Amino acid sequence: MSHPLSFMLCLAGFTALAFAMDRQQHDLIGRSLPASVTRALRIAGACALLLALGVLVAWQGWGLGLVMFSGHTSLTAGIVHVTLIGSARVYARASKH
Amino acid sequence: MISVAGRVRNVGPLLSRIAAALFGGYALAALASVAVLALPMSKPQAVLTGMLASFAIYAGAVIWVFAVRSALRAWTGLLVVAAPLLLAAWSVW
Amino acid sequence: MKTVQEPRPAGQGIRQSMSDLHTWVGLLLGWVLYAMFLTGTVAYFKDELSQWMRPELAHQTELPDQAVVAQRIADELGTVAPGSPQWSMRLPDGRNNSVYAFWRTATGTPGQRGFGEANFDPATGQKVTARDTLGGDFFYRFHFQFHYMPVIWGRWIAGVAAMFMLVAIVSGVITHKKIFVDFFTFRWGKGQRSWLDAHNAVSVFGLPFHFMITYTGLVTLMALYMPWGEQAAFKTPAERQQLNAELSAFIQPGKPSGQAAPLASVEAMVRQAQERWGRDNVGRVTATHPGDAAARVAVARGEAGRVSMSPQYLEFEGTTGRLLAVHEGVGAAAETRGVLYALHLGRFSDSVTRWLYFLVSLAGTAMVGTGLVMWIVKRRQKLPDPERPHVGFHIVERLNIVTIAGLSVAMTGFLWANRLLPQDLVARANWEIHVFFIVWLLTLAHAVLRPAKKAWVEQLWAATALLALLPILNAVTTQRPLWHSLVEGDWVFAGTDLMCWVLAGLHAALAIRTARHRPKLRSTRKPSREPVTTSATLRKGEA
Repeated sequence: MSHPLSFMLCLAGFTALAFAMDRQQHDLIGRSLPASVTRALRIAGACALLLALGVLVAWQGWGLGLVMFSGHTSLTAGIVHVTLIGSARVYARASKH
Repeated sequence: MISVAGRVRNVGPLLSRIAAALFGGYALAALASVAVLALPMSKPQAVLTGMLASFAIYAGAVIWVFAVRSALRAWTGLLVVAAPLLLAAWSVW
Repeated sequence: MKTVQEPRPAGQGIRQSMSDLHTWVGLLLGWVLYAMFLTGTVAYFKDELSQWMRPELAHQTELPDQAVVAQRIADELGTVAPGSPQWSMRLPDGRNNSVYAFWRTATGTPGQRGFGEANFDPATGQKVTARDTLGGDFFYRFHFQFHYMPVIWGRWIAGVAAMFMLVAIVSGVITHKKIFVDFFTFRWGKGQRSWLDAHNAVSVFGLPFHFMITYTGLVTLMALYMPWGEQAAFKTPAERQQLNAELSAFIQPGKPSGQAAPLASVEAMVRQAQERWGRDNVGRVTATHPGDAAARVAVARGEAGRVSMSPQYLEFEGTTGRLLAVHEGVGAAAETRGVLYALHLGRFSDSVTRWLYFLVSLAGTAMVGTGLVMWIVKRRQKLPDPERPHVGFHIVERLNIVTIAGLSVAMTGFLWANRLLPQDLVARANWEIHVFFIVWLLTLAHAVLRPAKKAWVEQLWAATALLALLPILNAVTTQRPLWHSLVEGDWVFAGTDLMCWVLAGLHAALAIRTARHRPKLRSTRKPSREPVTTSATLRKGEA
């Protein structure tokens, strides 16, 4: 169960980190979020990623844990990125009509 | 029309840097991999340490060669690092 | 050249020269790197692919007992390779349903090659009668030593390419100063800028992997690339042997006694290894001078579950089966090398981690591919006459098509050859490889003869068609069609067939996007405000 768990944690982490970025806030919400919310999102995102690392290392040790963590972070960052592109496209199309 | 001398002045430093990166960088990495033998560790471990580190040294040398302001400085930097390595390598060859 | 010795502000200067370095180092061997990346990516599933390419070998529903198999194959090797001074076998595991063994041929048989090799059926001990093919090992070997050339040449080319890759990665990171600010940035439909964003995304998301895989790739063959320390340190073969013992579980044959004595039970030796490392975690059994009183047997640990290739093995006296030594640890530098080696091969992976390896490695392939395409996109805007580009542009454009689209066609063609070539063809395994290169050459001819965009689209569609039809070809030519393997739970066959369709979808999407694409040319757009010269200035304009 550790693979799906850390995958979900990484996904949540990168989503939080993406929403903590100014450009993404403008693309998705149309305005900047308050600094306190941005900071909270950044901390939550970082914590989720660290937790995912913790889960994998506790399960498989440092060697294998780090390898798996690297794979999960790369994949989930890619998924979050593709989702952002997709939603921005839908948003752009909707606002045209 | 650019004169031959002008062309050499333009292309010369670039070619010199390419040579410094390709051959100077490899020579430096090779030298370092031998110099490691002077460290106080068993021979097989020293040999492997030298091999493992050599590619980082090679890459670092290439970056250095293209990062500095002139070809002359690139070569000088390589030689400055090579000198102590050469001494160390000399002692074990 | 313009940048070489101009005075300029220090920060900007370094970023500019690193950008130039990144561009040219990336381009010069980019095509070789793309081919290495893609075949290497596929090689993470080489064992599964080998099974798919030998459909005559039954789907392995449960793992045979490795100890029993080891004894069976050892007996068989006694008759196949009598008097051999050394043989070695890789035992079957979750990913392999055959036993690969090789042996040194007995001395005193002049005119023969020094080595023999074969795949054996673990259930019967007989040589497998499946079609003659190199299987997934072709992609694996091509990945670091290419083909039609001495392996040493190929390995040197791969080493130079890997070194270029390493420099490209480091200079790319220095160039890309806003690595975290731009993390999730993608500007759609903006031509060159979109390509740059895509290139950054696949590079940055996979950066730890890309760096690791490049460096560890150099480490796998470091003794070839950097032999100087070894040559300086060791003067005698005995000293060199000390080093080898740190790297490999192969025991070297010493002097035979000349006295014949049968080998003790290999099964019992493997049993001891199983007690130590687990029932299915014995990797390799090597024997030296079997049948002689001086025989030695080494039983090595498998690769699953530990991130290290450092040798761990039990050494037995061959005639008595007495445990002579337990080799479980090596020096710190040797262990570091073992870990790096293992990281590159990824053989320790469970199936989820293997898929992660595959996907991130595919991102690495995309990194090289987008970089190559970006070189063209960037320069097309600056062409004086887009209808008649200069010769350098022309060559790069065609090579991109052949490398990116053509390689997909050729690799799939290799799998088609595996199903279509007659079973009794002489040197059949070689012919599969010839087909791969013939198809690749055809894509080259096609790319040269057709207009660039048409060549892209047509080759991508060709790859799509070949991939999409492959499961159907498999259903027609073997007893193991997709519906059958799904019902049987045969995930090696079902997975390969389904993956063909996924990849066909990917190629179709690329073909459609390329066909729709209208390149922005200078004549059709307003003169840009910022000079579009390098990615560094481009990003500066964006800030």
